[in-house]
Amino acid sequence: MLPILSLIVLIPILFSAVTFFTKTKEQARISALVGTLITLVLTMYMYFSFDSTSAAMQFEEAANWIPSLGITYHLGVDGVSMPLILLNAIVIPLLIIYTWNDVRAAPNRFYALILAMQGAVIGVFVSLDFFLFYVFWELTLVPLFFMVNIWGGANKKHAAIKFFIYTHVASLVMLLGIFGLYYNAWSLNGVPNMDMAYLIGQFQFLESEIARDAIFLALLFGFIVKTPVVPFHSWLPDAYSEAPTAGSVLFILLKIGGYGLFRVMLPMLPFTATPSLMITIMGALGAISIIYGAFLALAQKDLKRMIAYSSISHMGYVTLGAAGLVSLSISGAMFQQFSHGLIMSIMFMSCGVIQTKTGTSIINNLGGLAQKMPKLTVIMVLGFMASLGLPGLTGFIAEFLVLTFSFINMPIYVIIALLAIVITAAYHLWALQRAMFGTFNEKLGDIVDISSYQAFSMGVIALLVVYFGWHPSPVLDMMITNSEHIVSLMAVMGV
Amino acid sequence: MVNLMLLAPEITILVTGLIVLLAGLFLSAQSKKIVGYIAILGCVVAMLLTISSFGTTAVMFSNSLSIDALSQFFKIVFLTVTTLVCIASVKYTDGNDHADEYYVLVLFATIGMMMVASANDLMVLFVAFELASLATYGLAGFEKKNPASIEASMKYFIIGSLSAALLLLGIGYVYGATGTTNIEGIAQNIDLLLNSPMGILSLVLLIAGFGFKIALVPFHMWAPDTYQGAPSLVSALLAAGSKKMGIIAAFKVFIGALIALQADWQIAFAILAVLTMTYGNIVALSQTSVKRMLAYSSLAQAGYITMAFVVMTPMALTGGILYALSHGFMKAGAFIATAAVVYMVTSENKDILNADHLDNFKGLGRRMPITALSMTVFVFALSGIPPTAGYMSKFILFSSTIQSGLVWLAVIAILNSALSLYYYARVVRYMYAKPTDGDRVSEPLPYVIALLLAVAGVLVIGIWPEPFVSMAMEAASVLI
Repeated sequence: MLPILSLIVLIPILFSAVTFFTKTKEQARISALVGTLITLVLTMYMYFSFDSTSAAMQFEEAANWIPSLGITYHLGVDGVSMPLILLNAIVIPLLIIYTWNDVRAAPNRFYALILAMQGAVIGVFVSLDFFLFYVFWELTLVPLFFMVNIWGGANKKHAAIKFFIYTHVASLVMLLGIFGLYYNAWSLNGVPNMDMAYLIGQFQFLESEIARDAIFLALLFGFIVKTPVVPFHSWLPDAYSEAPTAGSVLFILLKIGGYGLFRVMLPMLPFTATPSLMITIMGALGAISIIYGAFLALAQKDLKRMIAYSSISHMGYVTLGAAGLVSLSISGAMFQQFSHGLIMSIMFMSCGVIQTKTGTSIINNLGGLAQKMPKLTVIMVLGFMASLGLPGLTGFIAEFLVLTFSFINMPIYVIIALLAIVITAAYHLWALQRAMFGTFNEKLGDIVDISSYQAFSMGVIALLVVYFGWHPSPVLDMMITNSEHIVSLMAVMGV
Repeated sequence: MVNLMLLAPEITILVTGLIVLLAGLFLSAQSKKIVGYIAILGCVVAMLLTISSFGTTAVMFSNSLSIDALSQFFKIVFLTVTTLVCIASVKYTDGNDHADEYYVLVLFATIGMMMVASANDLMVLFVAFELASLATYGLAGFEKKNPASIEASMKYFIIGSLSAALLLLGIGYVYGATGTTNIEGIAQNIDLLLNSPMGILSLVLLIAGFGFKIALVPFHMWAPDTYQGAPSLVSALLAAGSKKMGIIAAFKVFIGALIALQADWQIAFAILAVLTMTYGNIVALSQTSVKRMLAYSSLAQAGYITMAFVVMTPMALTGGILYALSHGFMKAGAFIATAAVVYMVTSENKDILNADHLDNFKGLGRRMPITALSMTVFVFALSGIPPTAGYMSKFILFSSTIQSGLVWLAVIAILNSALSLYYYARVVRYMYAKPTDGDRVSEPLPYVIALLLAVAGVLVIGIWPEPFVSMAMEAASVLI
């Protein structure tokens, strides 16, 4: 059988190398588009032959890699990772089309980095060996570091290094947790093994309660910094807003933090020494992120920073839903990851257009853009509505599931989160009103609407937001299958 | 009967050195290029001989030399570094009337290092140690017209001689107490040294002696000045090769001979490791000279390797030994890349001072794409970003601290590793994100070959580490 998972990781990386050595912009963007389209075709093939009623790993590949350390090359997908792979495979070719006519220095490097990023992110989602997982996890840092550093905004130097070091520290703390799991299983069974499912399964046999909690918290720290969750979010606003538009979208597609919660943290949760404390920590951090992110978004003067903070607020639903521990709240959290990736891509793309056409993203300096940019306005309003949770769009389904079903286990946090909904609606509508509607700000000069390339890629994403908003089951079914599986594992332990 | 075939690598290097020495007498300055090729050939042959005999064990010359996986692994490290340095040096010594002397010194230093790796007797170890040191003192001052190079050599020589004296004194005390200089003999008679002030005194002297060579804080004072002042390729040899000589010597003496005093030296190494990595990383943050920054980063790396003495499990030693090889590739590569930049800058402007200043790295991604890309790989490897040799070694070494329950050490090491990312990333930022008005320059072929070989080494160890890990495990099993 075709080693399809290896291919969807290796093809982007291979094309990244090819793109790097292209000479002209024309060659670079075509090479990048071809690479991502091949990945998309393979992913679609995989998606359509995927069995969404099974919670088991599918398309598994395994081979020995470093036998003396028990490290294997083990890949597989299930309902947790499949939608996220799909998200990356769909949005990245559209991102390349979006940047088709952009003028920038060194386009070959730019597209090579996008492809490298795609390979690394998909690599994280398909890895079933902790060593491999960590390799891809760290690799995602490098393209983004360059992306912000080379094509970023005025404050790029600070933003890039802050992001790089902050998240690197978090990864290293996570690595300590992985070491803990690894040696625990090694001393129990006498053989080294880095397989994720195996190590997570052996976690419960670790005798020391302090060690179990310490390992859990170390891993949790690694994941929630990446998610990110308040109070470990401070790298995000700088990085998201200083990055070029493509970089911001890549940041958005980097759903590895939330993925780690489902893949690693939830199966381990029942076996910590103090599960209820851990649930409280996760739930509280989720609720705080939702409301704190919303308040900060309300206070922003810059449209891009506002979107960045709104992203923190939205990712809070992922943490909250995961801590909800009901299969539908977990599915809602997973769906939020998928939906958030689509919606935020539209929002950052819109903001990117505004920034390039008007030269500013300060909300007060804009005004009445709808008159000059009708096409952009339609798509952008749809994106904003989806983001604030309008029924019929994906954001609503995710947030509805999370809030409704988390209420069973943690009503207080849900009530706190509900307060944020009003604020969320306020900052979205207020920003739209000031930037897009009202009288046109004549100082902005003559402005043209978005190009057809940009309209195409943003339009496709917008259609997906509508489609999955009405008909979420193509991705939601597999999420539910897997979250039921996770919950049933926990029920065995009586949590 | 002594099987001389097992000494073939050393003999090859020696014969190559003598050929180069002789050839140098008859060749004109222009045709001296050929001695570089001879030296490279000799190194490659010696390396192949070492690899082909990997795993054989033998003791020879009245138990004064031992050939085992450990010594062979380190010989591979030294020969790798020397080969890389020799390849890059072809351009550096081009047209220099003293090229033959340069290669002879490099080759003799390598023999010294290789003999240290094989030494089974403290006297052999000391003599080989001095052979390598004397050759490198000369190399550090190779640029006779450059005051910085002379200063580097002078500082290195004075402090090195002092450390040699301390080392010899330490060996003297060990010999006085146990009546032998043989490593196994010392281990057998160690009870004569236990619980005696002489034991502590000899430990202090030995740690100081080796600490100078490894450049552990507080014995590091010479290192930044020497690495900065010496020709970049010599700094590569010092940081990537000669430093490992100190490590293998310390492995042999402390773990091989003085294991019974473990409780005493382990705590000393714990303090030195933490001090060295923290000091190295913090001071490296503010350096604007890339060579000086690499010097401090090499302090930090030595601090990481020293953790192997603190943890002392088979896993930790495997990590330490693999780190030695990885560091050989990464650090030699980084210095060679710097040498390429220095070469480019000085060929544009002969009288320039601070040719290795960070400003000269501006826009290097456009000016010297291969050098810049290689340098990026090396600094990311040094900071431990996967999938590189640096990550693989750190993975094994740091994880062993968790295995032994030394969580505090793991946390310190990891914080240090994160700190180091700042100055490594800064070099990358200068190369790719800073504009420059300089034009694209053609990169000299010898540098490019050496860089690509080092990049290949870094990536192969990172992506397919199995053979290297199992070799390092075999080497570690010699010690424990």
